[in-house]
Amino acid sequence: MFVWIENTALALWVSTSLWAYPFLLCAHISGLAIVVGIFTVRDFHLIGIISGLQETKFLELRKLAYCGFIINSLSGLMLFTSQASYFVTNAPFLSKLLFISFGIILALQIHKRIREKQDHRIIKRLAICSSICWFSAIISGRLIAYIFT
Amino acid sequence: MIEALTEEMMASNLTQWIQATYWLWPILEIFHFFGLTLLMGGLIIVDLRMIGFFSYIGLEEVKKLLPLVIFGFLVNLITGVLFLFGDPSRYSINIGFQIKMILVLLAGCNAAIYHLKVEPLFSNLNLTDRLPLAIKITGFTSLTLWTGVLLLGRLIPYVGTG
Repeated sequence: MFVWIENTALALWVSTSLWAYPFLLCAHISGLAIVVGIFTVRDFHLIGIISGLQETKFLELRKLAYCGFIINSLSGLMLFTSQASYFVTNAPFLSKLLFISFGIILALQIHKRIREKQDHRIIKRLAICSSICWFSAIISGRLIAYIFT
Repeated sequence: MIEALTEEMMASNLTQWIQATYWLWPILEIFHFFGLTLLMGGLIIVDLRMIGFFSYIGLEEVKKLLPLVIFGFLVNLITGVLFLFGDPSRYSINIGFQIKMILVLLAGCNAAIYHLKVEPLFSNLNLTDRLPLAIKITGFTSLTLWTGVLLLGRLIPYVGTG
């Protein structure tokens, strides 16, 4: 199935067009800056590393973060198609997906608990986990270029 | 002059150390990404607020994100200098890198204008006030320049020599 994906028109465009790959990488790093950037600012506030914004303000800012996530899901999916059969066996890629999934589940939980004004200690713990997940996702993402198994 | 500087850097102990240290390059890249997350994450909120979005957040509130932005910048300055020393002949002639550095300098000038002229305007403004044009322009310039820095950095491996 993954070999089939690599032969779709989309995958061939990504892998053979001169500018498709760098363009998608640019979209992917912009989305990264938005989603991981905003979530990190949120988590650092919740943990107490920085202060300034009230917790509830992140309920509004989350919409922009989700836009970043959508940009990266689409650009990531397109980058994936070009070497699908390789990526599905690549350990850093698979761990990256895992960390992003956890990061999103934690984000949903954190926003829900902020909205319901739940116990801050639990929100803080979730924020610590969330920060670890997103930084791990970045580490795994970078290692895709270095670890080939 | 750039050629002489490049030669000078290539002969340095720092260059030899970076090239000889196993796994240092990917570790530097990871820190460069962490730094960009802090820098851009904070800036997106500050600059968009200055342009006029997120009017439910006070300007005095977003201002408090700047230490995080500066910290992110310092992480990237240090890792960036190490990249440059690690492979001087590659970066010094790369057009993407050259334009990126010019944009960083321009962003620095914009930050100085912000600090001296624009930030003092914040204290007189209420949440519902119309933003002075000076604030909007400074925010827009900052976001544009740093987005340029981000994209050019990503394109360094794909563009040619200047």
